[in-house]
Amino acid sequence: MNPNDILAKAETLRNNLSSGFRDEIVKSLYAEAETIAQRAVKTANEKRYDFDQKIDRLVTSPLTGLPIMLLLLAIIIWLTVSGANVASDAIATVLFGFGEWARALFVGWNVPWWITGFIWDGVYLGLAWVVSVMLPPMMIFFPAFTFLEDLGYLPRVAFNMDWMFKKAGAHGKQSLTMAMGFGCNAAGVVATRVIDSPRERLIAILTNNFVPCNGRFPTLIMLATVFVAAGFSPALTSIIASGTVVGIVLIGVAFTFLMSWILSRTVLKGEASAFTLELPPYRRPNVSRILYTSIIDRTIFVLWRAMQTAAPAGAIIWILANVPFGTSNLAAAIAGWLNPFGILLGLDGIILLAYIIAIPANEIVVPTMMMMYMGAGMMVDGPSSSAAIFDLLVNGNGWTMLTAVNLMLFALLHNPCATTIMTIYKETKSYKWATLSVVITLGTAFLVTFLTASVARLLGWA
Amino acid sequence: MNMTFWLIVLAVILLITFLPRVGLRSQYKSYRAAQEREQVEDALKHLLDREQAGRHASPESLAGILGLSRPRVTGLIEDMETQGLVESRGDQLHLTADGERWALHVVRAHRLWERYLADEARMPLGQIHSEAHRREHNLTDAQLDELDAALGFPTRDPHGDPIPTREGTLPKAEGTPVTAWQADRPARIVHLEDEPALAYEQILAAGIRLGQDIRILERTPQRVVLSDGENEYRLAPAVASNVTVAPIPEHELLKRESVPLTELAHDHRAEIVTLDDAVQGFTRRRFLDLGLTPGTIIYPELQNFFGDPRGYRVRGTLIALRKDQAAQIWVKPV
Repeated sequence: MNPNDILAKAETLRNNLSSGFRDEIVKSLYAEAETIAQRAVKTANEKRYDFDQKIDRLVTSPLTGLPIMLLLLAIIIWLTVSGANVASDAIATVLFGFGEWARALFVGWNVPWWITGFIWDGVYLGLAWVVSVMLPPMMIFFPAFTFLEDLGYLPRVAFNMDWMFKKAGAHGKQSLTMAMGFGCNAAGVVATRVIDSPRERLIAILTNNFVPCNGRFPTLIMLATVFVAAGFSPALTSIIASGTVVGIVLIGVAFTFLMSWILSRTVLKGEASAFTLELPPYRRPNVSRILYTSIIDRTIFVLWRAMQTAAPAGAIIWILANVPFGTSNLAAAIAGWLNPFGILLGLDGIILLAYIIAIPANEIVVPTMMMMYMGAGMMVDGPSSSAAIFDLLVNGNGWTMLTAVNLMLFALLHNPCATTIMTIYKETKSYKWATLSVVITLGTAFLVTFLTASVARLLGWA
Repeated sequence: MNMTFWLIVLAVILLITFLPRVGLRSQYKSYRAAQEREQVEDALKHLLDREQAGRHASPESLAGILGLSRPRVTGLIEDMETQGLVESRGDQLHLTADGERWALHVVRAHRLWERYLADEARMPLGQIHSEAHRREHNLTDAQLDELDAALGFPTRDPHGDPIPTREGTLPKAEGTPVTAWQADRPARIVHLEDEPALAYEQILAAGIRLGQDIRILERTPQRVVLSDGENEYRLAPAVASNVTVAPIPEHELLKRESVPLTELAHDHRAEIVTLDDAVQGFTRRRFLDLGLTPGTIIYPELQNFFGDPRGYRVRGTLIALRKDQAAQIWVKPV
């Protein structure tokens, strides 16, 4: 019999198959697997099931489920923010100290000032800044998150939250990728691989940026402390500041749902695909695996991508601040041109320029802004006390309450950082989706800040 | 200086216009060629459609379908005759063997795309026809084979129409219009005619789905009333004649004694009887992968505080399903 005859025969036989033959194949595979499993596997008792069931009832019941979820999220974020502060300072001392020392060495060798400045005040400072601000929160957040993942708790969150996502035309597992986004939006985008239907996965990718990441928390915390909490008694300061940040995060979540809803009715129209969610049994977390996944797969992965973009950003910042233009430098000139547009959005030119330069990494927004407000030649930390920052911004540079509020909104809604855009491109293999992710976020940020600024001005608040 | 500038401008304009392949002129030409090919393909489809219905296409019917003026249609027909795709005898247009092969190729492309859009992209049924119509042109046989294989060699499109094979044979559409069906016999809907679109919209709006089992409650010259046991569907006879039915397969009668998984009470055990025929492609594969095969024991174990989704214990694992998914799994309480 020649191959063509066999193919022809197969073709005729195929047409006679009943429609359910695939079901039958899978059924027989499962039956076979079951007989093998019965021979080889012995089940000791059913106790573990009961224990799992008890925990499940607890974490999914209306009374305890939601509070447990919010409490865990709050603990993780609190651990990250407060723990990272200490570590960041330590790393910064070491890295900046080394930079000072190397700089002094260069000066001693009589290297021209612009080479020394470009390398140590530009490229190196940018790298050191991003590493010291980015590394500690990720080293705390990712292991904590991976711990919950390994425990088997995270799918229960997706189970609890699915009803809301269903209304927005999205997948319950998007709640997990959003939670991951608190650590880093690029990691959040990678995490969307757990969503198996392509449409819902794209929704999760495109909206992930509305969750503020570690890199944006410092900006939000600084503004909340200096502007919102300053009016209250010192005892209340930290509570008011955290409350403000939580409020901003909730606004971000609301925008995630709104944008998911809009996307699922326009560009990504279609019915919800199969929602199937496995709820695995609870397991004792495996410490070495947690450390491996969180440090190697997540932290190093994200940090490496961020460093690739932070070094050129450092160089650009230094050039802008040190190339003379007219009576001042290039940075001041560009900020001047951007100023009318910035004012329209309730911001100013320096903020917009800082955000353009900080596309590679949101961590350097505040130091770049401070550099320009203080007229320094390289990125600086800014004044150390809240009152001094308030004085610099309000009395020195014409900020109002509107500027602070709109900057918080802009920090929350603006375009993804370069690392995240790159990751979106790698995950979707499409320039179109990567571009769209920028267009919808930036469009939302412009629209919202423009509206708040206009309303505030019409009502005479600013 | 000025002269040089204008010469460069002129050279750039000439380049943009006449550059082979990427230039504006060749872009426009390939766009026109694609458009002409689309017109030819649509015309072929119409001819095939008419021939299968035992009627013949005419220049008028073609002009109506394509929305072209008479002179344009005459030109198109002349073109197709030169290419050896059609023959006109008097006022009737006939497909040649070549023409029929090409027409079947386009029909195959259209129906495979519909299958893909319905099963894998999960587009609403009302939208797939126009989307498939946009995608059916300019495809090679090899590309279609790839699509065919990726979909698992489907035999029917989501409306129940047969999909032509690669060799160009078109399985005969089975079934009887519901208007000619024996009134007291239960039947399964095997085909919903999607043209004219207005009638199809009415069928969908009434809530009738492919694969539904129905009985005829009433059939008068004014209306046809169908029932699936729960709901009643009223249609005008002209619309109802676009609904084709066939006898219910033996094994499917099992479904009679079963309930959808959503109706199973908390912690009650049941055995899976079958997955609904409406579940195809991606969703069905996913269900089977998770072990939701006929004969498996399943019971709801975990309640969500909003009722949806629910967690079901299957083969020792806990799997959460949304209501609309669970409604497609038929079970028999044990």
